[in-house]
Amino acid sequence: MNEATIQKIKERLATLKKLPGIGQKSVAEVLEEHGFTRRDFLKWSAAMAVMLGLPTKFSPLIAEAAEVSDRLPVVWLHLAECTGCSESLIRNDSPTIDNILFNFINLQYHDTIMAAAGWQAEENFEEAMEKFAGRFVLCVEGGVPTKDGGEFLTIGPHAETGLEKLKRTADKAAAVISVGTCSSFGGIQAAAPNPTGVKGVYQVINKPVINVPGCPPSAKNIVGTVLYVILFGALPAVDNFNRPKFAYGLRIHDLCERRGHFDAGEFVEEFGDHGAENGFCLYKVGCKGPYTFNNCSRERFNQHTSWPVQAGHGCIGCSEPDFWDSMAPYEEPLANHKFASATVDATADKIGATILVVAGVAIVAHAALSAIKNPKE
Amino acid sequence: MKITKKIVNKIEGEASLKIYGEEKVDFVEIEFWQYRGVESYLINRPVMDALVINPRICGICGHSHLFATVKAIENAVNAKVSKKAEILRDITVGLEIVENHIKWFYITLFPTQIKDKKYIFKAGEFAALISKAIALIAGQYPHNSYMVPGGVTSDPTNLEIIKLKDLLNKIYEKYQEKIMDLNLNSEDIELFFENLPKDIGKSINRFLVLGDNLFFKKNGDVNLVKEVENSSLSKNVLYNGEFVEVGPLARNINNENIRKIYNNYKNSIFTRILTRVYEGLLILEYLINKIKEIDICEPSYIKCGMSNSKGIAAVEAPRGSLIHEIEIKNGKIAYYNIIVPTQFNLSSSKDKNKLSAAQSAMINEKKEYIDSIFKCFDICAVCVSH
Ligand code: SF4
Ligand code: SF4
Repeated sequence: MNEATIQKIKERLATLKKLPGIGQKSVAEVLEEHGFTRRDFLKWSAAMAVMLGLPTKFSPLIAEAAEVSDRLPVVWLHLAECTGCSESLIRNDSPTIDNILFNFINLQYHDTIMAAAGWQAEENFEEAMEKFAGRFVLCVEGGVPTKDGGEFLTIGPHAETGLEKLKRTADKAAAVISVGTCSSFGGIQAAAPNPTGVKGVYQVINKPVINVPGCPPSAKNIVGTVLYVILFGALPAVDNFNRPKFAYGLRIHDLCERRGHFDAGEFVEEFGDHGAENGFCLYKVGCKGPYTFNNCSRERFNQHTSWPVQAGHGCIGCSEPDFWDSMAPYEEPLANHKFASATVDATADKIGATILVVAGVAIVAHAALSAIKNPKE
Repeated sequence: MKITKKIVNKIEGEASLKIYGEEKVDFVEIEFWQYRGVESYLINRPVMDALVINPRICGICGHSHLFATVKAIENAVNAKVSKKAEILRDITVGLEIVENHIKWFYITLFPTQIKDKKYIFKAGEFAALISKAIALIAGQYPHNSYMVPGGVTSDPTNLEIIKLKDLLNKIYEKYQEKIMDLNLNSEDIELFFENLPKDIGKSINRFLVLGDNLFFKKNGDVNLVKEVENSSLSKNVLYNGEFVEVGPLARNINNENIRKIYNNYKNSIFTRILTRVYEGLLILEYLINKIKEIDICEPSYIKCGMSNSKGIAAVEAPRGSLIHEIEIKNGKIAYYNIIVPTQFNLSSSKDKNKLSAAQSAMINEKKEYIDSIFKCFDICAVCVSH
């Protein structure tokens, strides 16, 4: 990225700065109230730059972008889902800068955490639609039921279907972000036999959608994507499932702490065995890390505390399209299945494939066995 | 008669109320208009898949759904579990309840009376600490599958247990300082009731506890529960032919301190809210003692087989008794049924003489109180639309 890009960002931020914020207090003041110093804030922006894959000289710009994040109107819709994504976000760091920022962005409408309720909430929604037409970012949580005209999900006093509400909101949005696997690809309710005909947002609207999948996605990936939009006024570079490359560019497997054991052919054969006690690789008890593009093994969850593989359960592949069907059974190895994502990134694919072949003898033998194996006795 | 339709949102989804009456509520019907079909996509999948799918019924109490799934399978296959695994499960399930109560109080209920974002931050602070504690054992929160039939997949080290003890104590102290003390004093609850009568929302006074996890004692038999269709996309639930109330008030009604409040305010909105917030403290206290009993040398997991059979389990989830039922055939799921606490409390009856807990609490009260009364049951529309 060159000087011209930086110049452009600066101009963009300067324009944003002229817009009114939502509260009487500035972001900086609110951070200070919560005990963050300027230094903490700069440290955070540097870390954010790294996570977004930007050179460190961008970190002051990220700080600036965060400071004007209250200028960006966001509308958050809930469709068919379990609210896990919002939950993941609400309980993001304690109280961390991401968390404060999320609460501080100009959230015009969010069912779970907005202060308004009932009719008033509906009014807020319609008002935001008018006032910020063409300017707000739409975040969608949840898949879109489409069967029988979408009647399995209706919202609000006029029983509008989720499908209709999404379409008319997306029409007026400046950018659409699908938060989580449900809105990205349909998610759990779209699992076979998909009784309510759920689809991903990108399948039902005519606009570019940025997918931030995960079940739930890490708060960092959500906040990172939103910040990116503020920073550049554009969507980040994506792979062919429209996932931001900064977060979904590598496989879980590539940075997994158990990777050494995989390469050495040391596997947990069943839960609770000697391998489990010694932190061996979870491939044979179903880990889908080699097929899954996401940054959990690097960013972890809940303030960098842990992630599923660390707690002894394999990755289930939650950021991949159709993973509820294609990655099942979740506690058995996939054998030699080919996945949609496996062709996304030729380099990563090659590296993964080679290593899978090197360590492959054991796996292939196991896979062949499991393919004909009867269900567990 | 005047009929108004009211949409109640911010309950992890929304419910629609058909309210009959002018100033006061003469009658009310409760409807849920979302459906996802979890039971249908479990069919024919390998049994273990239920462990990964079911937490996704709800992002708020996914852990309870995981726990109920594991117990239903364990009951079906007669699995054994070590004491260590049981305590670890207690800790994560208990912490989920504590976290739920805090978030419910400050994020869902509070805004019905007080519009101030600072309480959202307050809840977020606790939620983050608690999630961190859960993640230490479970790997991630929300949504993980660290419980498996026969135990848990994680093997915490001594260091992790020490960290966890530390966190539990910290949360417990902070709770007393910022939310409620051991004598049930809470500035925030008083603030909430500044403009709201404490004695509204009295209900049917029939309390049911079906789970026996944590320190809760069951007072009923899960086989007497029956599900019946109602006019919306959810189902009514009866116990022994009657509607009942489940949840924190039901399971703590015999607690000495709660009894005192109950004697003054009966089963009103105030007693219900106070008990839910107080239960958080009780659970923390219980866990702080329980964690001392962990012997890290015990196995985390004891292998169990899969057999063709049926299993049913009830556990106490944040909002009350949660039931999972499974039938296993050749290692696959042949039948699955889920009954969530909100269904018990929020059943919608057409019969004025036989009302569900929430209906009965709203009837005869002023319409302006409906939002708060309805929400004092800690409704979860996501769970209902499973
Ligand atoms: S297979 Fe899973 S556990 Fe093993 S190294 Fe890869 S990501 Fe880690
Ligand atoms: S480790 Fe795998 S299953 Fe778990 S959250 Fe990350 S991508 Fe999803």
